[in-house]
Amino acid sequence: MIGVPSTLTEAAAALRSGTLSSVALTEAVIARADALDGDLGVYITRMDNEALNAAAAADRDFTAGIDRGPLQGIPIGVKDIIATRDAPTTAQSLILNPAWGAGIDAPVVARLRAAGAVITGKTTTMEFAVGMPDANKPFPVPHNPWDLERWPGGSSSGSGAGVAAGLFFGALGTDTGGSIRLPAAYCGITGLKPTYGRVPKSGCAPLGYSLDHIGPMARSARDCAAILEVLAGYDASDPTCSHAAVPPYLAALTGSVKGIRIGVERVNHLTAPNADPVAVAAFEDAAAWFISAGALVEEVAVPYYQEIRSANTVTMRGESTSYHLGDLRTRWEDYGVHTSKAVSQGAIVGAADYVQAQRFRSLARRVVAAMMEPLDVLLMPTALMGAPRLAGLDHTSFMNWPTFTQPWNLLGLPALALPMGFTAAGLPLSMQVVGKPFAEATVLRVGDAYQRKTSFHLERPTGIAAVAA
Amino acid sequence: MPEPKDVRAAVTAAVEAAGLPLTDAELEAFVSIYPALRAGADSLYIEAVRYEEPALVFTPVPPVQG
Repeated sequence: MIGVPSTLTEAAAALRSGTLSSVALTEAVIARADALDGDLGVYITRMDNEALNAAAAADRDFTAGIDRGPLQGIPIGVKDIIATRDAPTTAQSLILNPAWGAGIDAPVVARLRAAGAVITGKTTTMEFAVGMPDANKPFPVPHNPWDLERWPGGSSSGSGAGVAAGLFFGALGTDTGGSIRLPAAYCGITGLKPTYGRVPKSGCAPLGYSLDHIGPMARSARDCAAILEVLAGYDASDPTCSHAAVPPYLAALTGSVKGIRIGVERVNHLTAPNADPVAVAAFEDAAAWFISAGALVEEVAVPYYQEIRSANTVTMRGESTSYHLGDLRTRWEDYGVHTSKAVSQGAIVGAADYVQAQRFRSLARRVVAAMMEPLDVLLMPTALMGAPRLAGLDHTSFMNWPTFTQPWNLLGLPALALPMGFTAAGLPLSMQVVGKPFAEATVLRVGDAYQRKTSFHLERPTGIAAVAA
Repeated sequence: MPEPKDVRAAVTAAVEAAGLPLTDAELEAFVSIYPALRAGADSLYIEAVRYEEPALVFTPVPPVQG
């Protein structure tokens, strides 16, 4: 077996230098999946043959001098709530009609294929992108490659664990309240929730219509930039998709944060109940690094922070119950035990509450924009804890965790989760860089500059070392 | 906004009206989360929102089918 590069960027360079072929790279990650996935639960559906065919096509293109960009020949995983023409889409659920999305590529998948990416399979998710694993349902339970007894986070669980374990070099995740960023945090990788409307979300089973985002997950901010450059841009099939021009994200990665204006948000984060002091210290170290690197750092407080979280909850409950109520009435037992609780709670909030949340959302959008006006980005933890144990996971415990992702779904702002250190037990820790609308280039620049001077994102998971050896 | 005097009755009525077949244990879970959920929703009825338009968009032209 060949040595597998650490990052998408390294793999892309090896493909272009001729030291590696896409077929060899794909065979290597397939062999890695053979060895590891029985323990990890990354895949629901593997597409080994289709992947090898795509890899061979990518190699032929390289030989013919055709270069479609940095994703050409690169193995990529796709979360199994996003439609792909050559594999079923289950949403990890007995509920979703198998005819949904059959034979169709979601726009994001079509864009990956057009860029020459090698789609290796459909990755595990929490059912319909919400809740917790249910071992009583006929789907794999995803495990964290840093510690197989722990959860990789959700709901883009397989995408996060698969990148961390080297089963592919990038993945599509979706994020309605943190479902890209929390698995990125718990698995020690990098994940970007773009601006709402930046990436078309048609062809993706919905959770919260006005909160859902599709985005990249990979080892580094640079890798995420390469993927976002392919995913971003208007598509008429998604009425919420923006016509805003797509800038060259890779070209924005200058390696410098000198003069970048960063608002560090401590007041709503660092004193959260159950916060790990080691995580707080890691965040302070990261904030100090940005000062040393020449950023202009000041303390800020997000106004109406708790109300923003509440409005996100009301919105997600209302929108998800709308989608699921018919099936909940007739097929309650077919849902996972945590999913049914999560997607039915809209029944106990009112229609007026939902509209009020959208009126509050207008206010929050304006006051947060005003707060951010003199800044380029905000900095805060993604979570102040390492990955939780799988045993005993339930929705109530989730509500008590110090995680900080939901506000940026309600506000639709781009948010990058990237590694910032490790817990005392050696589990990854993560911070968020939040930008202004459609300012992904700045967010990625800040993350990339940090990662050029740190190596947290390149550390290999310890939980699979024995298996992988 | 005041919380219902009988949370269990309020939750039971809402769940029954929605036609959700909850078990007793699941109903109890809803009863336990309801006060926080209600308080969160109530926290959004503030004076600063009094004259805000909701962030909802409707266009009469149907989108292209994907």
